[in-house]
Amino acid sequence: MSTTTITAELQRTHSRSPRRPRLVNAELLKLRKRRGLILATFALTVLPMIAAYIILVILHATEPAKHGPPGGLENFSGSMYVLTQLGVVAAILLGATAGAGDLGSGVFRELVVTGRSRLALFVARVPAGLGLVVAAVWAGFTVTAVASTVLAGSLEAPGAGLLVESAAWLAIVVGVALLLALGVSSAVGSRGTTIGVVVAWELVLMPFLLQMGTLGSLRELLPFAALERVGPSALFDGGVAVPMSLSVAIAVIAAWTIVPLAAGAWRTVNRDA
Amino acid sequence: MSIQARTNGRKAVSGAFVVETSGLTKRFGERVAVDDVELRVPRGSAFGYLGPNGAGKTTLIRMLLGLTDATSGTMQLLGRPVPADRAAALARVGAIVEEPRFHGYLTGRENLCVIAAAREPEAYDRIDGALARVGLSQRADEHVKRYSLGMRQRLGVARSLLADPELLILDEPTNGLDPAGIHEFRDMIRGFVAEGRTVLLSSHLLDEVEKICDQVAIVDRGRVVMQGSIEDLAADGAPTILIATSDDRRALGVLGQHRAVETATAELDGIRLTLHCDVQAEGAADDIGRRMFEAGLAIRHFERARASLEQRFLEITSRLEEAA
Repeated sequence: MSTTTITAELQRTHSRSPRRPRLVNAELLKLRKRRGLILATFALTVLPMIAAYIILVILHATEPAKHGPPGGLENFSGSMYVLTQLGVVAAILLGATAGAGDLGSGVFRELVVTGRSRLALFVARVPAGLGLVVAAVWAGFTVTAVASTVLAGSLEAPGAGLLVESAAWLAIVVGVALLLALGVSSAVGSRGTTIGVVVAWELVLMPFLLQMGTLGSLRELLPFAALERVGPSALFDGGVAVPMSLSVAIAVIAAWTIVPLAAGAWRTVNRDA
Repeated sequence: MSIQARTNGRKAVSGAFVVETSGLTKRFGERVAVDDVELRVPRGSAFGYLGPNGAGKTTLIRMLLGLTDATSGTMQLLGRPVPADRAAALARVGAIVEEPRFHGYLTGRENLCVIAAAREPEAYDRIDGALARVGLSQRADEHVKRYSLGMRQRLGVARSLLADPELLILDEPTNGLDPAGIHEFRDMIRGFVAEGRTVLLSSHLLDEVEKICDQVAIVDRGRVVMQGSIEDLAADGAPTILIATSDDRRALGVLGQHRAVETATAELDGIRLTLHCDVQAEGAADDIGRRMFEAGLAIRHFERARASLEQRFLEITSRLEEAA
């Protein structure tokens, strides 16, 4: 489809269809047209899964006695760990861009001049960012799910229930990371700073804090501890790092999404455009 | 787009003024950027908001558009109070503030789609017309990062037209345009006024405002020091006479001592006389002619000149400087 056809279609969809709010459509357009961002997102979520299973297939084919079948529950659990970590990075990239993209290019001012509520402009970023990141991690998840089932061989394959639970949990994990990055970048107004700070927090500082037993129950406040608690137990063979009640886990997850979003919304409404 | 079509079935606001401010003030700490501004922009006019750089023009526009809060005072846009009824007021306002900004990785058309999403659904149907109006139909599907500054300015105007605006607010719109682009822009603005839209144009370019606008407010150090029609403002200025004689050097000596003459300046094709504001111009002109004759100087050219906006602007602002 040519660019003209796409935009003509977009115009038609925007003006006739009330199914998806127009501001969300516009946010999706802004995100998906960033070619580098979309390539990076899919490179982080789909490519590693394909590469990992290709390597496992080759290893199994060359030395079946040493390397078992590439599929099965254990490999599924391992690839889910990788997909979760890389999906979080993709979510941070998308969230930071959704939150600060308009500010960075100066278009936020042009949007404010339309008279549209600043809160509505902010809120539209949420479903657009979530839609894209969930689509990306689910594409990677599809590769994992299919490969771990089809290539299970003599091993136990992940059941349908576990696959559904895992897909939902994956969406929650990347969703929380996206909303955190979106809120922070909307508040800070800088995509680069947000990516640096949130990646460092999610991938360096938080895992480090999770390992610090001396922090005791304070670790319950860390989002990944809460996310582990609500995840499928089959994925965490050695048990979760910080045991906690389900209600505490849900409260912690809610706080880690609501607080940054509220900060981002407040700053969007009150900043000089 | 006709005025009839522009109302789109909604009741058009029909007050005499599209912009009214009262005591509008904006402070940044100790500095007063906009100082107690009383501004009235008549409907259907091309209104120039004229002042030197740093006079507070952009700050006033940013307040009108809700980009920054006022420290005190009230504003009305299209008869609606701002910021209380900002959404309804801005629905029929198009604006370019400073340099128009876009997402460079999107095409011109996609950038308009993004803005149309924030406006009423009919805004999408105006995209093609707006692009055609500014002559960008052929380049609409190119990425904006490849656009020249002039093309971006035109795309900015197209974006403003998505509102089907009753009021267009343009802040220094000809900045960076070449002479042909400026000429084109001038015609476009006059075209908007001919359609019944009001254009509020902020500029530090006096000549530009004089050519485009029929009403003007002069702003200096945050204060509106004068507003009205350009003709009235020019007429209020010190009377000016252009005179050429058989011996301009000797004439300059004679005229320099005339009590009605405030300044006498030699120019390439004669002498420019600025008379004191309080003298009766016709009587003074007759007397000057008589003095030339008595001094044995032949008058080759004698003309009452209309003060330019530039002269008036300099007169007004220099008076303010003296008062300060």
